[in-house]
Order: sequence, then C-alpha cells, then structure tokens
Amino acid sequence: MKGPFTISLDGSPVTVSDGETVLQAARRLAIDIPTLCYLEKCGPLNSCLVCLVKINGKLVPSCGTKATPGMVVESETEEVHEARRTALELLFSDHVGDCLSPCQRLCPLGLNIPVMLRQLEAGQLAEATATVRGALPLPAVLGRLCHHPCEQGCRRGHWDDPAAIRDLERFVADADLGIGAGAIEPVSRSVPPPPQREGTTTAAPSGDSALVNSPVADASLAPRLNGILPLPQGEGRGEGKGGVDQPSASPPVRGRFLPACKPSTGKRVAIIGAGPTGLTAAYHLARQGHAVTVADRHPQAGGTLRTGTDENVLPRAALDGEIGQLTRLGIEFKLGVELGRDLSLEGLLRGFNAVLLAVGEIAPGDSDKLGVALAATGIKADPNTCATNVPGVFAAGSAVRAQKQLVKAMAEGKAAAECVHLHLRGKAPRRPEKPFSSIMGRMEPGELRLFLQQSSTGARVTPCEACRGHSAKEAADEGARCLHCDCRSSGNCVLQHYAQVYGADASRFRAERRPFEQHLQPGGVIFEPGKCILCGICVKLCELAGEPLGLTFIGRGFDVRVATPFNRTIEDGLQKVAEECVKHCPTGALVFREKRGVA
Amino acid sequence: MPPIDLQFTDAAVARLGRKPEAVIPILQALQEHYGYLPEEALRRVCESSDITPASINGVASFYDMFRFSPVGKHLVRVCTGTACHVAGAERVEDALRRHLRIPAGADTDANRQFTIEQVACLGTCTLAPTIRIAETTFGYTTAESIPDKLRDFLEHEAASSAVKSTEELRRSVGNGGAVEIHVGLGSCCMAKGSDRLFHALRENAAACGGNVVVKRVGCVGMCHRTPMIEVAQPGKPGTFYADLSPSQARALVQRHFRPQGLLQRASRLWTRTVDSLLLEDAAPQQEVQRFSMSKRDPGVRAFLDKQVHIATEHFGQLDPLDLDEYLAHGGFEALAKCLGVKLRSPKSEVRSNSEDRNPKSETASEQSAIGHRQPAIAPADLISTLEQSGLRGRGGAGFPTGQKWRVVSQQPGGTKYVICNGDEGDPGAFMDRMILESFPYRVIEGLALAALAVGAHEGIFYIRHEYPLAVKRVRAAIAELEKRGWLGEKLLGGAFPLKLSVFEGAGAFVCGEETALIASVEGERGMPRLRPPFPAQEGLWGKPTLINNVETLALVPWIVRNSAEKFATIGTAKSKGTKVFALAGKIRRGGLIEVPMGTTIREIVEEIGGGAAEGRRFKAVQIGGPSGGCVPARLADTSVDYESLREVGAIMGSGGLVVLDDTSCMVDIARYFLQFTQDQSCGKCTFCRIGTKRMLDILDRLCAGKASRPHLDELERLARQVGAGSLCGLGKTAPNPVLSTLRYFRDEYEAHVAGRCPAGKCTALIHYCVTADCTGCTLCAQRCPVNAIPMTPYQRHAIDDAKCTRCDTCRVVCPHNAIDVK
Repeated sequence: MKGPFTISLDGSPVTVSDGETVLQAARRLAIDIPTLCYLEKCGPLNSCLVCLVKINGKLVPSCGTKATPGMVVESETEEVHEARRTALELLFSDHVGDCLSPCQRLCPLGLNIPVMLRQLEAGQLAEATATVRGALPLPAVLGRLCHHPCEQGCRRGHWDDPAAIRDLERFVADADLGIGAGAIEPVSRSVPPPPQREGTTTAAPSGDSALVNSPVADASLAPRLNGILPLPQGEGRGEGKGGVDQPSASPPVRGRFLPACKPSTGKRVAIIGAGPTGLTAAYHLARQGHAVTVADRHPQAGGTLRTGTDENVLPRAALDGEIGQLTRLGIEFKLGVELGRDLSLEGLLRGFNAVLLAVGEIAPGDSDKLGVALAATGIKADPNTCATNVPGVFAAGSAVRAQKQLVKAMAEGKAAAECVHLHLRGKAPRRPEKPFSSIMGRMEPGELRLFLQQSSTGARVTPCEACRGHSAKEAADEGARCLHCDCRSSGNCVLQHYAQVYGADASRFRAERRPFEQHLQPGGVIFEPGKCILCGICVKLCELAGEPLGLTFIGRGFDVRVATPFNRTIEDGLQKVAEECVKHCPTGALVFREKRGVA
Repeated sequence: MPPIDLQFTDAAVARLGRKPEAVIPILQALQEHYGYLPEEALRRVCESSDITPASINGVASFYDMFRFSPVGKHLVRVCTGTACHVAGAERVEDALRRHLRIPAGADTDANRQFTIEQVACLGTCTLAPTIRIAETTFGYTTAESIPDKLRDFLEHEAASSAVKSTEELRRSVGNGGAVEIHVGLGSCCMAKGSDRLFHALRENAAACGGNVVVKRVGCVGMCHRTPMIEVAQPGKPGTFYADLSPSQARALVQRHFRPQGLLQRASRLWTRTVDSLLLEDAAPQQEVQRFSMSKRDPGVRAFLDKQVHIATEHFGQLDPLDLDEYLAHGGFEALAKCLGVKLRSPKSEVRSNSEDRNPKSETASEQSAIGHRQPAIAPADLISTLEQSGLRGRGGAGFPTGQKWRVVSQQPGGTKYVICNGDEGDPGAFMDRMILESFPYRVIEGLALAALAVGAHEGIFYIRHEYPLAVKRVRAAIAELEKRGWLGEKLLGGAFPLKLSVFEGAGAFVCGEETALIASVEGERGMPRLRPPFPAQEGLWGKPTLINNVETLALVPWIVRNSAEKFATIGTAKSKGTKVFALAGKIRRGGLIEVPMGTTIREIVEEIGGGAAEGRRFKAVQIGGPSGGCVPARLADTSVDYESLREVGAIMGSGGLVVLDDTSCMVDIARYFLQFTQDQSCGKCTFCRIGTKRMLDILDRLCAGKASRPHLDELERLARQVGAGSLCGLGKTAPNPVLSTLRYFRDEYEAHVAGRCPAGKCTALIHYCVTADCTGCTLCAQRCPVNAIPMTPYQRHAIDDAKCTRCDTCRVVCPHNAIDVK
C-alpha cells in the first residue's frame, strides 16, 4: 500500500500514511492513548500493554500495530479502558514504592509534607511557606490544634520518633505571620494587621509558585467585591457588630504570603458560617476566582476555633492573623448575621450563584430556620456532591455530621468548595478524588535503614518549654530527619499520571510485596528496582548507544529484572546514557538524587 | 574453587563462531563442559567474540538449562509434567529431599553427590512419575521407592558399564528367512529397560546361532506394556511379548529358535533343566508364555483398532536410522516425485526385508537413489495439494498448512527459511519427541518438501534439549543423508540445494511460540514479539520463514505420496486426517496413539485407553496442556477436532491428553497449569508476567483454603482480561485451564472456599487418619519418614497431624486399607 489512506478511530476518520502506527494516528487526533514503554527512538517494545485498542474484536497494543486501509479502531470505550486500567493495576500490584509519602496521604488536606520538610532543611522558608499556604488556610491554627494523623503514619516513627510535622507547620505559619519563635518580624507585633477589604485587596499573579507579597490592584477583582450582601431581612442588623473585622485603612501587609487566585469568574458564593469548614471552603473558592462572602452570627470569624479555645491553646494573634490572610485573599466577611433571622435562603439565592451552609452543629428543629431538609445527623446533603435538597445550596462540615477533628472539618470545607466550584462552572458537582498513590505498606527495619542512609540520624528536635516553637536552625534539623518516603518522580511519573486518569485501584490485587531496594550510586543515579515496570526503554537505549556494559533483562517470567551484566552497578552499565535513561524512565525506578537539602 | 580452565571456552568460541547468534550453542557447550556457567568463562566469551555482556547475561538467565553455580556429581531431574503431577511428583521430590537431606531452598546435598532440579516435562508421561538421574530415566517412582532408585543408580554407576548405547548400531543383517525381533527403543521404552533387554537379546541370539536378527525400532506406542518386542517371522503373524525384563531374553530366544549345533542344543536342554530347578515357578517356556500376546488380544485390539497410522506409519517396524529401510517403505518417494528425480528404491518388500539385501556400500546406495530425471511437480502444485488435503497445523492452533506455505512462497526475495518446530514444551505431551526419535527421515522429508514448496534453501530443526535422543537421531539422520550426498548442494541428488541443521533449545516453553523461537535461533532471549508481521513475512533474520510442527511435517510425505483426496477422506469436515495423542494420566493403557480426527474422547479414553483404573471414576481429560482445558466426562462424546474442542473450552494443542479420575483435584490442576505458565512466561508483557502471577496467587489461596467467594469472581474476571490482553499465545491461552475448570467444576472451587478438597489432593485441606481396620502391624509407623506415627504394636495406630507431611506413604504401605484421607 502506498500513499495516505483512511482509518476509523472511535468513529472519526483519520488519514494516515503508510507505515504509521495506530498510536501515531491517534495522537494526531489528540486521543490520549496512554503509553509507558513507548519511546519513538526505541521503536515499539510492546511490553506495558496499557496502549491497548480494539481492532477486529481483539485487543492489540496500538504502539506496535501498523494502520492498514479501512481499519476500524476503538480506543475510548469502556471495554478498552477497563483493559488499560487492569494493566495499570497489575503493574501496581508489583510496584514497590509510594508515590506520595504516608504523611501526605494521611493529611486530610493533602499537604505535601515531605517537600515542606526538605525546604525547611534547606533553609528555604519562603518556599516552605508557599508549600503550606498554597495547600491550606489557617496553618497557624492547624500547626497548634491538628491531631496530626501525618505523624502517626510517618515512617520515621517506625525507626525512632516521627518527624515533628505539626510543629514545623506551625513554625512556617508563625514565621509568615510574624509571631512565634521563628518569626522573622519582631514578635512584639502580636496584634494582627487589619485585614484588607474592598479595593485594597491583594490578588496574586498567576503561577502557583510565585511568592505573592505585593498587592496588585486587580481591576477585575474589585467590582466583584464591591457588592454588599443583599440581605433583604438582615440588613442593618449585626452590621455594627462587625467589630474587630471592620476594615481599617491600614496599608497592605508586606512579607506575608498570599497564594495565587485564578482570574475572576464573576460568580458569587455565600458561605454561612465562619468556622473551620466555612473558612476552608472560602479559601478554596476564592482561589478558584469566585467572589466569596462569609456570613456568621458571631461578631468575629472563627467559629469554634474562637468559641472553643482559649489564648493558651490558640493565641488570638494566630487566629486573627490567619483570618486576616483570608480577608486579604478578597474574602468578605459579614458578621453578626444569622440565617433565618437576618438572612433567608431565598434571599441569598437571589444575590448569589451558590450558597454553602457551614453553620456547625445544628439543633433539631433548625430546619425551618435553615430552609433545607434535615437528616438525623444534621442537614441532609448528598455525600458525593454536598448538595442539599435546595438547588444551588450546599452543606458541609458539622452542619451535616458532627466533625470531631479540626482537620477533617476543614477537609469537608475543601470538598464542598470543589463541589460548589463545579456547580458554578455548570458541571455536575463531585467531591475531589483522592490523589492516586501507590502504597508500599509497612516496612521492615532493613528497608527503613535504606531510607535512613540519606537522612539525619538525629533524635526528634523538641523545642524547650519556654520557646514558643522551633527556631530556624531547629526546624532545619528536624526537617533533615525526613526519610523522603515520597517518590522522586511523583508528579512527573507517567505511571502515576495514567493511574489517576484511569482511576486505577492500586490495591486491587493484594499480593506479597517484594522487598524495597534502593541503589544509591556515587554519580547521583538512584535505582529502585521495585519501581521498574520492565518497559525496556533503558535496555534499548543502552543497546542503541553501544554502552560497553549496558543494561539487560535478567531472568524470566515474574522474576525478570533489569540489571547490569555480571552483577555490576547500574552506573557501570550507564556510562553514556544515564541522563537519557533517567529522563525517559516512565516511573521512579531511575532518578537522579537531588542535592540533599534542595527540594 | 580451582581456577577455571579457559582453554575449553576459547575452543568452543572458535568452533561455534564469534557472531552474536552463537551465544546459545556456546553457552550449551560451556554448561556441558563445566557443569555450570562460570563467570570467568562468560567474560572470556565476551572478550573473544561479538557477544555482548548484556546478551550473554540476558540469554543465560532466560533459559532453564543454564546454571550459575556448580552442581553435585549427579543431576537428578524431577519431571513436573502433567502426568507426573497428577501421579504425585511433588511427593517424589519431597521424598528425594528427605532422603538426601536437602533443605528447602537448596538443591544439592551436603556431600555434593546429587543436585535436584525440576524439569517442566521429560516427555515420558506414561511412566509417571518420572525422574532422570544423569542419563538414566526411572519411571513409576514413588516416595517409597526413592531410596531404592538412588541405590540402584549408584550401583550401576559403580558397575560403570551400566548400559551400552543403542545408538551406535548399524543395521543387523541376517540371512534369507531370518526371524526378526523388533525392540522398541524410544526414550520411554528405554526408561523401562528396553535397551538392556535389547542387548540381552542380541547376546542370546548370537549365542544361539539361529537365523535371527534383533532389530532396533522406534516407538511401539503401547507404553503401558513396555519393554515390548515383536517377533516377526516371514509368513506368520507377529507375536508380541510385553512387560519383559532382560533376564527373560534367553528364554525368549530359546522359545523361538531351535539352536543350531549340538553344543547349543545341549546347552538349551541344560538351561531348561537348570531353570526348572532354580525357578520355583515353572519352565522358562511357561514363564515367557505369560508375556506373550498377539494382535488379536482384546486389550491390544482395543488399543490398536481405532488407530490410523499416517504420521506414525510403520510404527514399531522401522529402524529409525536405517535409511534404506525407510526408502524401502516408500520413503523419499514424495520428495523425489516433486524434485523430478527418479528414486530407485532398494527392494520394495515391506517385512523381513533385511535378510536378502547385501550389505551396502556408499556407492551402492547412491546408485540406488539417483536415477534419471522425471518431470518435477511445481511448487505451486505441491502447495495446492496441501491445500486440498485440508491439513491444518498440528502444533495447536490449527492454521491451514497449505495456506501458510502459500504465503511464504509468495513473499519476494531470495532468502527464505523453513523451520521444524520441535520445541514440544507442553507438559504431558511427547508426540513430537516420539516422531523425531522414531521417524527422523520422515520429518526431514516433510521439511524438505516444505522448503521446496516455498523456495527455501536452509532448514532448521529446533528441538528441545530435554529430548537428547531426538536430537541425536535427527543429527544422525542428517549426517547419513549428507554422507550420501542427498543434502546440501543437491537435495536427493537433484538440482535443489538444501542445507539442514539442528538447533537445540535451551529450555523455555515459550520458544514453541514462533516469534520466540526465531528470537532464540537469533541468539536472543526467547521473547515473543507482536504479530503482524508474521514470520511468513518477516521471520528469521527478517526473511520469510515457514515454521511447521513436527507432526505436521511428518504427515506431508504421506499426503504427497497418497494424494490429497485420500487424506481428506479421513477426519471430519473441517479437521482432516489424523492426530497423534500422548495418552497418559489416570488410565489403564497409556501410550502413543494416532486416531482419525473426529474420534470421540470416550473412544480414546475408554476403548483405546481402557478407562480409569479399577475402582476409580473417569472424571475429565485435560487436552491441550497449559493452553488447553479440562473436558468433563459428561462431555466425553465430544469429537476430537479443532472446532469441537474449542467449543468445549479446550484446544487441540499439540496433543497431550491426560486423563483425570476422581482422585484428581480440578483446582489443583488449574493451579498446576498456572504455575507452569507463570514459570514459563517470558516476562515481557504486563498481562502475562503479572496477570498469571496474580491468578496463581488466588489459586494458591484456594488450595490452601484461604480464599473467599469474591476471589472466585476476581479469578474469573482476571482470567478473561489476561486472555484478552496478553501479547502472545502463551498468555492469551494461559487462562484456559482455569476458565474451563471454573466452567465445569465450579463446585470444586466452592468446596475449596469452604475449606474442603473433595479429591483429597490439596495437602493443606486434608488429614490422614487411621481407621478401625488397623491391626497394629506397625508397617506405617516403620515407614513414616517423619515419625508422625508412634509405634503401637497390636493396637490401632494414630497419626500426629501436626507432624504429618501428607506424603501418602502410610496409605500406600498399609496392608489393610486402614488409612483414611479426609
């Protein structure tokens, strides 16, 4: 056959030239057929089989199947997807490694803890602040009150003591707020700076990693914040009780981190309740570019954080500082107003595109006041969408079901924010999926020792009573105790990416795990054989480059592994193409070691 | 350890070549010489050849036969083939380990005398369970008999001249009217002592001085009755003697042949007298009489009547390596016809042909072969003949052979290859081994016809190394043809050049898959690749390559000689001709059979095979090995043809047919095959490498009584996905044994979920106990290898369940059937 011809891909005709594979044709149609073992230079290796498509009733790998005239290919069908998902799940059943560290997986808010720890170790406080404040609001509060499930999962705890994650989070937050032992600014300034409001709000330039410390007048933001709560009943009442949160004309606070917000969407959200759930939801919605107004019946924001704690447990400087940060994000607070008294749901729905009820635990019979249906535990809300019986009205946190743990209550707020956000974008609301992670499970002492090779062996650093937290030096020392359980390829891993896309269940096939192995090489290459999926790319690259030793497959069947001949080290095999192999490894099996202390 | 002598390594490289593809033959040579692969030697090979370290390490670690550490003085190979498995191979290995005190995880005893190695299948399935110590195969081993077998071996070893080779023989020539004694000398016959019988017969025949020829022939098919001989007298029907031992040779010879000369007669008389004095029983005459049988014997008739011998034509009659005899039976007629050379056959007698032929010189035989030219049959016509015959590949998939030939013949380019696939890896199958051992010339003729049809001038026999005799005989047959000038430049003296060679496999089931086979010949790890392109388009060295199975090729000369139409009259509408099966397992008459397609399973099992053993119930047949399935007894009327077998969830496969009875656990069978495919997976694609492993995990759980109902659903779901997603045939068919047993024997799976093994096979789920029938004879207590039975004379014994290893010895030795398995 010569010259271009046509094939059908999921019903769309595609013109392909002779010799082209189905995969190449699909990619031109922007159909994202997943591949792990495919690298053009190497030719089709046909090992991973996640690129399956269906042709003539048979599943075949698209990377190695040449298109022929009139071919009919199915790619994005449930059957094909299930086969791809199974291939991924099989790979994970023999994948010795964690994408995400146990601490991060256990954090209901998904804070990237190991990165924070490494940044602290490196003395990169600004970066650490961005890591923390980019992931969650109120770190100064959580850094004091969180029940830190992260530390329970910390692998270091299986060796001696877990890393002091909560204390370090507090250290980061306090430093940013200018309170506590590690504060960069004088501790004396314990009164929080007045929060920003209308017109003076800071907005972040786009780009997540940007350190935002200069107020940028964003014309698009100003108007959306100009509106006053349209409260037909409640107007006037409680306005004056706004007390502490009343704006003052202070200049914007310099030196504090504000995460980036997306451009304004023009949508308005009312959140009823300024407790942990409401505040967290407000933070995430604001970052999505929505105009958020938080109303609370109390004169001050904070909900149970304020009513349920005292100065010793949670210094007001910390709480107020954090709320101030939220104000600076453009969130408007309307305090001293109560739903059913000053506000009505109908009224809110006239002025806002969505309403989130985060009013905390409710009493029986509040149904009338709230205007939504109740269940035995609280407001009746769909567990998957947070939606109540009233369209456009969502509910979350203790208002739905009593939350015992602060961080969980906040996570509920985050989930509700995602649902509301999807609703505002005209999509079906759905709780966010947990980020995918391969899970290695409990480790043997010998395996832990491998991780310890690269960590500080020091004992947990506990600041003295008198100190109000870690010093910068102590924080760095404590951060150095992190074992780096998270995969160096996480976020940059093809396997992880497609597992998330295909909703793979990493633990579908429970099996005895192989021991974790890690080969640290003097030249900086790290080889973790348990993460190798035997795609064969590195073996082929060595062959193409004429490596003197190269890499090869050793053994057969389930026990095949990639190794250097004659039991030599990986770097012996990779004298010419180490960089190329690391670059093209589809998982974290071959990586370069970052300089310790640099995240 | 003393330094390694690298001179051999250098010599091997010099002899076998420095090209990358020489790696497997070189490794085989090193393994043979050093007993393992010393690293120094491997490095030396890399230094002195184009073989790279990556290649030599990758290849050496891929194939089963290569070892990286020295072995003990004797290698004990434990066959784990299907028939051996159902007959208790695990217990045999346990007993070996116990006896030699080799702990789990180790393979060699403390004195470094014996190294134990599992092999996928020795292909001596009718003798199951089988072990092979060095070159000697022992059949019917039990946990009980292991110490004896080892002692037996060591004694023979001490005697050093234990067994003389039967391979160096040349034809025995008798005078006119000589009586021939045919001794079947296939590997399985030899494992049962046929070779010793052969030598004993020869000595006695020589001593007797009669006009008698003791002749080596190929497989006689009736493995269940070997050592077996046929006495063929001109003009009389043959008499068979079965189950003989070497000590009976003399009596046999004397029964049939009147000794010549006074001295001999006196000796005969004397022998009889002495024997009658010495033997309690009776005169040797009667002694021998017990073993005689004729073709009219009901058992023999049942075994033979349904059979049609095409691939195994003249079975039990031909000396495998006697070229002239092959020629006399129409051998190479088909090839000569196609080549257009006239083959003047030396005498056309069929039986007792050896007596009136003169010893041949090379020139004489050459003259007999090359005659004047006759019009050749065009390759296209040859292919048409094949197409018309309806012949389909006997390797398992059943692809039409003529069509395959046509595709290869139509490929452009001058260089093409033909390969005979003799990598018969299915455990429980030994048809190809038998055909290669018994009819090497026939397979060569088939391959030569294929080469002629497609225009290939180079042919390769790929034969697994576990079949040493097959390798030896095919090599010898090729050498004989070369000697006569019938191979090489002038095939059969004609104008068509054809070079043939033998490539020994190195132990990898997956190499039966044609793309993996090609990779192996090219000196690589035997990893299959995606098809298309098919080998017919891009095969060995990227050239069009025709790969046919041994049996397929063995059928070709018959078809060409007898016409496609005649072949097509045999069999069913879509499956023509015959199929050779290795009939083994829980059956009375195991052996090698050739039946027309369309014969039912019941006819094979119950008529030919005589059904299950006394008191046992025929439950299922496993057809097609690891790619096949289990057909339950209630579907025994299923016709044996490609389509019908597929319909019931099995496949024709290469022809292993293992009969299972009520003592066979179907979950265990499924697990056995998954273990096999998992061991043999090349490890390339995800579905096969990990998918079969995860299926095996679930089956292991089931057999250990640790599975729950959701596991069954996951097993079935995964089985379908592995079948749909795998890259090559091995993975695609690996789930079949699971799916077919789930389909027909789901109740057994559910019993395992409930913690029971109805067949009493899964050791984790069964318990041995002593019933009230116990007389307190203490035999079980004496024999228990782990002292789990305290000796309590005259009282009912008891078994300590915690100590019991379920070796079954007590049940076997108990004279009162007082051991119960629950």
